[in-house]
Amino acid sequence: MPVIEAIHVLAGATVFGTILIVDLRLLGFPDTRRPVTRVCSEMLRITWIAFAVSLTAGALMFSANAHTYVGNTAFRLKMLALLGAGVNMALFHAFTFRNVKAWDQNAPAPLAARIAGATSILIWVCVIFLARWIGFTKGFDFKIPVNTHINFQF
Amino acid sequence: MLGLSGVFGLNGALGSGAMYGAGAMHAWGSVSGFAGWLEATPASTSIKSVSWVIPFVQSIHILMIGVVFISCLMIALRVLGVMRTDEPVEGVWRRFAPWMWSGLVVMAATGMTLVVGEPEREFGTVSFWLKMALVAIGVTGTALYGRSLKSAAAGAPAVFPVSAKAASVLIVILWLAVIFLGRAIAYDKQVWGALSPHA
Repeated sequence: MPVIEAIHVLAGATVFGTILIVDLRLLGFPDTRRPVTRVCSEMLRITWIAFAVSLTAGALMFSANAHTYVGNTAFRLKMLALLGAGVNMALFHAFTFRNVKAWDQNAPAPLAARIAGATSILIWVCVIFLARWIGFTKGFDFKIPVNTHINFQF
Repeated sequence: MLGLSGVFGLNGALGSGAMYGAGAMHAWGSVSGFAGWLEATPASTSIKSVSWVIPFVQSIHILMIGVVFISCLMIALRVLGVMRTDEPVEGVWRRFAPWMWSGLVVMAATGMTLVVGEPEREFGTVSFWLKMALVAIGVTGTALYGRSLKSAAAGAPAVFPVSAKAASVLIVILWLAVIFLGRAIAYDKQVWGALSPHA
């Protein structure tokens, strides 16, 4: 379990770190000379690999304690935040990124891209905070008496 | 009160540990004595008195893993010739080194807050001390690595020597070990078995 959790932390931090580089480029800070398309293609390769690793480790952690996670408010909010990150990314790629050729070298990028970048940073910070909150709250969300041990059936 | 009984509990556990000689036992004893003192300081009790402080500070600590580790990875991948090869190494270092160093400062500050808040949780583990040793090596290593990269870049080689590439791989592995040990603090007995003072 410590190994799976450590992998989850490492992969999650990698997702955050690599997306941060892309988001900061959209905000025009500090990687201003590199084309947006180049920063995206370089970083997002690592992001997706790390995301897949994180998801796998997270699924293993979830399956070990499914009932606790499902009832945990921080976990639910985290899933909602991840969904938000996905929607933000989908909207960015469907609309703003479509004419990226016109602003590839611009720093900062157009307003819509800057909003997407800022939203992304905010959401991913929330994801990490909520993730840490799960570990501190999951016990309190049990609707069973303290010190009662139940073997969950999966 | 809880903190003090924890210290005595730790001492009791150490008394029965067969892995350590008398000298090492004494060292663990004074460490846990210091932990008990720190635990009782107003700074420590105020960190513990608000329930969200520790998870909040831990979250910032984890966010900084993203900043520091990825910055280091970007520099290492450039030296290895995998990424940003259109840019000189000096440029990549200038782009990421400030983030790496500021991230490390925030990590040290949040890390120290966590130590003051929960000294027994940290000091009573093999993982914590091993992590601190690796952090000391990592910080010194990164400073030396940066200096040697600058002098290597002055000669502007198209491909870096094997030693620079090996150093890049080593420093990434070192930070990986630090990240794993950070998580292992919560599982000291499980990870280290009889070596852990909790055994």
